[in-house]
Amino acid sequence: MKQQCAMALLQDAASRIDPPAVMRWRDEGRPVLGTTCSFVPAEILYAAGVLPIRLRGLAARGSSIGDAYFGPFICSFPKCLLELAGSGSFRFLDGVVITPGCDAMRRLHECWRKAGEDIPGIVPGFFHYFDVPHKTEGHGFSWFIDEMKVLVEKMSSHFNVKITDEDLSSAISLYDEGRRLYETLEGFLLEDGPRLSGTEVLASAIAGSVLPREDYNQLMRQAVEEAMSRPPADECLIRLVVAGSVDDTLDLFRLIESRGKALVVGETLCFGSRFASNSIQASEDPLRGIAGHYLVSSTCPRMFGGYAERLHRLLDLVRSRRADGVILQNIRFCDMHGSENGLMARDLKRMGIPALRIEREYGPLADTGRINLRVDAFLEQIAAKRLTIKRVESTASAASRAAAEV
Amino acid sequence: MRPEIKEYNYDWLMGRTLKAAAALGRGTEKEARAAFEYMPYFRGVASSFLREGEAGRIFLELLAQNYDNILTAHGRGKKLVATTFCKSPVIFFAADMVPVTFEILTAIGGLVWQRGMFEYMDFCCEAGMTETSCSSQRGAMGAYLAGLGERIDLVVCDTPGVCDTNATAFAFTAAYLGIPFFQLNYPSSIGDARSQNYHAADYMELVRFLEEHSGKPLDFERLSGLLSEVERQDYLTAELEDLMALVPSPVPPIYSLMLYAGRFCFAGDAIFTRLLSSMLESAQENARKGKPGVPQERLRMFTCYIDHYTVDINFWHYLEDRGIAHIGSILSRNFRDNNAYCADLPGSCYSIDTSSKEAMLESIAQMDARLPMVRSIRGPYDQPGMWLAETLALAKRYRADCIVYNGTPGCRNTWGMVKPFARELEKHGFPVHIMYDDAFDDRVESWEATRERLDEFFQVRGLL
Repeated sequence: MKQQCAMALLQDAASRIDPPAVMRWRDEGRPVLGTTCSFVPAEILYAAGVLPIRLRGLAARGSSIGDAYFGPFICSFPKCLLELAGSGSFRFLDGVVITPGCDAMRRLHECWRKAGEDIPGIVPGFFHYFDVPHKTEGHGFSWFIDEMKVLVEKMSSHFNVKITDEDLSSAISLYDEGRRLYETLEGFLLEDGPRLSGTEVLASAIAGSVLPREDYNQLMRQAVEEAMSRPPADECLIRLVVAGSVDDTLDLFRLIESRGKALVVGETLCFGSRFASNSIQASEDPLRGIAGHYLVSSTCPRMFGGYAERLHRLLDLVRSRRADGVILQNIRFCDMHGSENGLMARDLKRMGIPALRIEREYGPLADTGRINLRVDAFLEQIAAKRLTIKRVESTASAASRAAAEV
Repeated sequence: MRPEIKEYNYDWLMGRTLKAAAALGRGTEKEARAAFEYMPYFRGVASSFLREGEAGRIFLELLAQNYDNILTAHGRGKKLVATTFCKSPVIFFAADMVPVTFEILTAIGGLVWQRGMFEYMDFCCEAGMTETSCSSQRGAMGAYLAGLGERIDLVVCDTPGVCDTNATAFAFTAAYLGIPFFQLNYPSSIGDARSQNYHAADYMELVRFLEEHSGKPLDFERLSGLLSEVERQDYLTAELEDLMALVPSPVPPIYSLMLYAGRFCFAGDAIFTRLLSSMLESAQENARKGKPGVPQERLRMFTCYIDHYTVDINFWHYLEDRGIAHIGSILSRNFRDNNAYCADLPGSCYSIDTSSKEAMLESIAQMDARLPMVRSIRGPYDQPGMWLAETLALAKRYRADCIVYNGTPGCRNTWGMVKPFARELEKHGFPVHIMYDDAFDDRVESWEATRERLDEFFQVRGLL
């Protein structure tokens, strides 16, 4: 039964803000702590016996609470998180760690606290601001290490636990095992005939940001086996990479893949491979290893000035996954991803790589029709390009045959 | 961008316009009147500044000088560095570079050009930026991205950790133009040893970056001279700010704009000292006569963020017409440690020490860390020394009757918290108005609509 359902269970975990495994953890009397950004080192929380879950806004059905505290020109993602917090959906949390991932997300710190003055009981007992610098070396790196030490100290005091280097090293091993399993699963997307969809792979990454790590690793081992047992499909789908703003729902990927014309073979999302892959480099000091992973290897445009490096990584991904095109998406008011998408669209097109730039709202795809239409048109363009290349190749090959005969 | 706009070099256009306007102040009134015949759009703004007497004339000279520096930089072997208003220009002057401050240039364009900066703002979107990005950069920046200004050589911003949209605009500029980029990065706290050390370490990196790109070591003798000039300017500013605390305030509203525009362009330069001296003399004269800075002071307004800069300086005329004293904004205070309000905001202020190279760098690093925005919207707004504490301290000390928030839709940071922030200010007894316009772009909300809403606020809250 379990063997057959791993992929479905991962998708279920990715589609709910309170998956059963999280509730079980909570029912056992163990703390659950919400985080708002992929910069928060999950290993530190896990080492303290606390379950870190990345907060998602996917169950929000409106934004009346979000709009009461945030202003109008703000991305809908933090508004949805506040909506859920205000309506009590996050009452199962024992704590929250908020980071300055972006200006809108860092203001969730104030808005949540202020909403808590009006709606009692929605602010968890542990409410911490984790100050992530915008520099990865020298004093930036030291600042991040210090922030982690402060987090360790505050958690130790609040949850009455002791976090040792051994605890941290065990947590790193556990998380790295999940990362390797994710990379194995993701590797199936390299095949010509897809055994699994990009939606399934994204679901496995998102699930990794919420499930207890032992459960996750177990499910991932089963998911890899399930994928291996599937026969490769013989369809020739258009291979796409998705980049840009936060996306914690499966809706966009489903929409892209739902017509049976395209496969998402890679992404650079913070709920996806940015968090789910790349093992932590071994270090004598586990905190330094963690900092190297979370801060230094970050590919978020909040690390200003690293555009060339991020473009390079995207190109590597496009080449290694043999992608036909790139969808660059951003949530409205996300200027960091939105403006970088503009540069990337320019540079990808210069290199002959088709790129589609989409601005969207976060949440239940309010503008499904519009996005459908644009994705369809993009796929048609790529299909037409493929056809042209095929024709040119076949003409060239016919010509070379004829030349050989002469 | 329309082809006809591309016909003109933007820097030359603005530079010549401002130079001509500054020259008017040196001629006779008759000559000025004759010249106004030929400048139907700009005459309102030029004459407004000229009406301010010597201070207004110096201010026009200062703006013209700013453009002259930009236009002649390459000819003088200096590099042009694109930067932001919340970064002091002193270090660039010391490095023998010329700053190009996008927000200031956008504001100048918006003030003097009747059609505003819309074409240039939109060009940034053509180049790939989001339309929701901040208009304050997008104006002048559009001209440079379109190749209609002088060639920018490098980019230095100091807003990572403070304002994403601002930092994104500068990172975008560097990537788009393919030029070197440097960021000063600010942690969320201020005044504690940890953040002070971070400022200093970060500043050392900036100095190394500037030395690398100027090809010469930083001239500490020049830096010492510049910081000594800043000392004088800080003293004059403090005197002027003290006068603003009088009821009625003898300081005309437009002086606030002149004060901070001058500081952002020419901190450490003698022309700004001249401007401050002239403004102070005039305000002191008003104070001696018991003459308010507006015809009749009926209300004292503190703008907790920025002011309004679109065409024809409408906002400033409005304040005079309604008898509203402008008692400062987030931009107009300098947070020097001997200023009266610094007693209410421990850790938020800086001092200047020119006794050694290390002391100078420490001084300038801490001074930069206390520039507008960088100082008070870097951390949770209700934490010590942040926006709420600063606004309350200043509004109380300068006896504000109300507080007005104005910004741009691009300001993700303040729009992320302005509602609860305003609510808290109200709890402290200050009527608060949130303006939903754009300080640099009248297409978001026309000036007429903005004026109506301000009037409505003053009327409904019984202020006017």
